[in-house]
Amino acid sequence: MDRWLKSNQGIGVGLTFFFTALLLYTQLTPWANTKLRDGFTLGFFPVVSIILLIIFSLVLCIDSRRKQVSDRLENLTLKYFMSTVLAVFYCWVYFKSMIAVGFLVTTPPFLLFSMYILGLKSWRSLVAASILITVIVYATFSIMGIELPPVKLPRI
Amino acid sequence: MNCRLLNCPEFSLLSREKNIFNPEALLEAFTMVFTLKCLYWLVVGVVVGVGVGAMPGLTAPTGVALMIPLTFTMNIASALALLIGLYKGAVYGGSISAISFATPGSPEAAATVYDGYKLMKRGQGRKAALMALYASVTGDTLSDIITIGVAPALAVVALKFGPTERFWLVVLACTLLSSLTGAHPAKGMLSASLGFFLGTIGIDPVAMVSRMTFGIWWIQDGIQFIPMMIGIFAISRMLEGTVELLKERRITQKAKESFAKLLMKSGPGLTFKEYIRCWKEILIGLGVGTFAGTLPGLGATVGAFLSYSAAKQISPQKKIGTGVLEGIAAAESGNNSTVGPTLIPLLAFGIPGSATAALIGGALMLQGATPSPQMFEQYPQVVYALFVILFFGNFVNLGVGRVFAGLYARLGHLPRQILIPLIFMMAIIGSYSFRENPYDVIVMLIFGFIGYILRVLRIPDAPMVITFLITPMMEANLRRALLINRGDWIQALFHSSLAIGLFFSCLILAFLAIRFEASKRLGIEVSKVKQ
Repeated sequence: MDRWLKSNQGIGVGLTFFFTALLLYTQLTPWANTKLRDGFTLGFFPVVSIILLIIFSLVLCIDSRRKQVSDRLENLTLKYFMSTVLAVFYCWVYFKSMIAVGFLVTTPPFLLFSMYILGLKSWRSLVAASILITVIVYATFSIMGIELPPVKLPRI
Repeated sequence: MNCRLLNCPEFSLLSREKNIFNPEALLEAFTMVFTLKCLYWLVVGVVVGVGVGAMPGLTAPTGVALMIPLTFTMNIASALALLIGLYKGAVYGGSISAISFATPGSPEAAATVYDGYKLMKRGQGRKAALMALYASVTGDTLSDIITIGVAPALAVVALKFGPTERFWLVVLACTLLSSLTGAHPAKGMLSASLGFFLGTIGIDPVAMVSRMTFGIWWIQDGIQFIPMMIGIFAISRMLEGTVELLKERRITQKAKESFAKLLMKSGPGLTFKEYIRCWKEILIGLGVGTFAGTLPGLGATVGAFLSYSAAKQISPQKKIGTGVLEGIAAAESGNNSTVGPTLIPLLAFGIPGSATAALIGGALMLQGATPSPQMFEQYPQVVYALFVILFFGNFVNLGVGRVFAGLYARLGHLPRQILIPLIFMMAIIGSYSFRENPYDVIVMLIFGFIGYILRVLRIPDAPMVITFLITPMMEANLRRALLINRGDWIQALFHSSLAIGLFFSCLILAFLAIRFEASKRLGIEVSKVKQ
């Protein structure tokens, strides 16, 4: 069952359901049927694109490669998949904190922690690399005239 | 006409000229390019590009996507110099790590490993590296000359097309893209359809009303191209790299023999005789690479592998694959010969030939010059500046590759533990500095994740990106054709023999792709090569 879910057929079935739901959602929204001056409805092109998505999802289910499993998917476990979700969330947290307190304050800890998690264990390298990269990137963007979020220290 | 271009000091009324060849515009292009600033950015582009190519895990689209935010403050010539220099450098740079430690820096250099690494192990790394550089530069320069000759001629033809023909041309490009990219045509077509769907999100091009926004106000204007590209080409690859590192915690394979040392010592270099001996393979690479570059969907990886296998079949006596210079010449000439030609469909029809060409097209749009056949009439100086940069970029590539190859070989060993957080940070600040809009960062992260899922499922991302970019053109042309023909669909779609011909080409191509799995036959399985 697990292998089937990871096969092209399993993915095709999942995508077919997803895009069918999207098609229904689109058809049920009021804007989709709004008639335009040139005779088209506002939802015409989105609906055509979703129909194409459904067709090719179905092709995935029935073509000669339907039983194949992507090597990358085969080796992916839930734990590693969740690590990518966490990485995206971590990037978002970095961005929000950068906006709040400034690029120069948040970037060295972001880099240091990321490098540590990814396996760089030498503290000297961690500190040197994170500070050096921050300074180089800040200098490059400043020279280019692109302002990065400035440091905002809390009032005492 | 976009105000950014009008504000450009180099812009003049020359753009109003109607001739495709405009000598005054050419002169103006020279004055735009041969400034200290523009040449500086060309050198920076090549220097960064060769580094990007040399580092396993980074590819030309990743580098170009990350650099686009830096071009916002530049004039159009400097922006083109940076991006085209980077593109050229990155395609050549992949050979450095392919030869030095048998790990292609980018997929297009995978064919170079066969002969390059064998020569390296025999102590002839310097010879191999120089052959890679000279073959790359020769192939690239000659294909650029072809590009400069062919693109304006095709644009003249394209200018005669009506909306119906333009519509079918875009459909044909989408069919080509989806059938030739990746090993599984259904996945390519699914990817192109996804790009079509994403292209419909936002403002309707005719009625100027928002659609398909799911009630999210910050996508009412559509999905922003630059954050989307940074997400797909930088974040997705880094997420993949993160998983790989967490899984294996392995360090990049160490070179048994230091490439840098080999380049420094007075070992056997490449003689002129050896270079000339490979003329046949360089020309095979030129022909195949130019063809692969011009056709949307093929690109540098296919160019390299096709020319490598063609050279192997044409000259079996040369024993390509056993560690000979001819193998390197064919592969490197094949991949670099695609660089210029991928811009042919972009300039002639407004259809990018590859993901990197799509990014360059996006950068041109940001500067106010939308790639289309009209560009030759409206902004001839920009087109000529692009040609001049394309041509002179090769000499910069030659110089940078010759002087710094040893340094780049060391760069190939840069731990991914440092590289991945650096790219994450660059992607975040790049997409934010684009408009200083936090929602662009959300778009970038969402598309980074979508790109990662596509990579895990082995669904190619290039058809999605290119279709996304050309969907408005396809939609606008179809609607224009219908308006002209008063809503008669048959007349609007098939009113000329060219339109009927293009329609049947699409059908035949799609049939052939599914029936014979054309991409597999073309050896695109190589896309599975570690990126």
